[in-house]
Amino acid sequence: MSVVGKQLNPVQSSNAAAVATASSSAAGSSSAGSGVEANGGSGGAAGAAASGGASNDSKRAAEPSSVSPDEVLHLTKITDDYLCSANANVFEIDFTRFKIRDLESGAVLFEIAKPPSEQYPDGLSVEETMLAAAEELSLEDTADPNAGRYVRYQFTPAFLNLKTVGATVEFTVGSQPVNNFRMIERHFFRDRLLKTFDFEFGYCIPYSKNTCEHIYEFPNLPPDLVAEMISSPFETRSDSFYFVENRLVMHNKADYAYDGGIIV
Amino acid sequence: MGFLTVLKKMRQKEKEMRILLLGLDNAGKTTILKRFNGEPIDTISPTLGFNIKTLEHNGYTLNMWDVGGQKSLRSYWRNYFECTDGLVWVVDSADRMRLESCGQELQILLQEERLAGATLLVLCNKQDLPGALSSNEIKEILHLEEITTHHWLVVGVSAVTGEKLLSSMDWLIDDIAKRIFTLD
Repeated sequence: MSVVGKQLNPVQSSNAAAVATASSSAAGSSSAGSGVEANGGSGGAAGAAASGGASNDSKRAAEPSSVSPDEVLHLTKITDDYLCSANANVFEIDFTRFKIRDLESGAVLFEIAKPPSEQYPDGLSVEETMLAAAEELSLEDTADPNAGRYVRYQFTPAFLNLKTVGATVEFTVGSQPVNNFRMIERHFFRDRLLKTFDFEFGYCIPYSKNTCEHIYEFPNLPPDLVAEMISSPFETRSDSFYFVENRLVMHNKADYAYDGGIIV
Repeated sequence: MGFLTVLKKMRQKEKEMRILLLGLDNAGKTTILKRFNGEPIDTISPTLGFNIKTLEHNGYTLNMWDVGGQKSLRSYWRNYFECTDGLVWVVDSADRMRLESCGQELQILLQEERLAGATLLVLCNKQDLPGALSSNEIKEILHLEEITTHHWLVVGVSAVTGEKLLSSMDWLIDDIAKRIFTLD
């Protein structure tokens, strides 16, 4: 499967090396070494790989989703499956950047962005458009439809000692105005709820590019839990649900490891 | 401040405030937002939508909304008025040519019913520039003394140096808090 044109650009920061290593790969391709295998993204880079396909699928009827915000707020664990299809994103909401920074040091710990040329397909050259079209075909023909809805992060244990963190998402919307856009994110370690994000973006302007940074105190976790999280890579997981007018239009997943840099 | 709004605020566990930053394009709204939140301000491009920051400050949860100021975007501002507790009107103090239209846009906002309960902070930005008008001069040009419908304050600031930025935001937050959370 060729998804060359869909690759995300990792933005490396030398400051970040002590806490997080970040590398990325597009859906389906393998990522060498340690770091982040970003198959599109979660709260942020979300759908970056997938939405290229989805945005051209508006003719295809979106499968209605009956999941309500209240229901996902009461989930007691990570969902087994995606609660809406990849085609539910009828508003062409496209996550183009995801960034995490440490407010104390100012260091950018993780940043992943879609190249600008892919954010605005209309601005591409003929060759690029052809290439993109071919890739969409191959994505549809062979790819797992859920590729690009999942991101894997690998951090060092130092990440769990951070005090104040800023998490930025950047997204674009398509030709239709978006009303009551709401994000609900649920973070679990095994079946223990660590954190819930519930934020209403409200209205989004057609063809707009928007950013949102949540600056928050890192949850104060007991030391034995922190130790368990470090020794249990990828058992810390999150679901990100995106609603438009109370209807689920996107669902992305992520998992996390905090044992990076530990020499066994 | 309507009774229902008060009830709504009371019900919230955390003390939340919604602050809306508006102004003409190139006034420095995004730069102010980034400066306030300790982000680098060297690569800022025109906002073609919104930038939101949610943060804890002085015991309050601030939801700060910076909406693009280009003429084509101003008709969308009204979509962000609902539940606004504080309006920050950002002025490019060195852009004398457009101070009149800056004042007109502000007057339109002040007549907006959904902003009736909001405290107004006018930030005369770019005080570090040589041609910048003072906050007193801008107060005259924008006829701020005539405002009786809103609590307001005008301050000369510089997003680049950070001058007076924090203290003026603290005034805004204090003023909102006095109006909204006095029943606690």
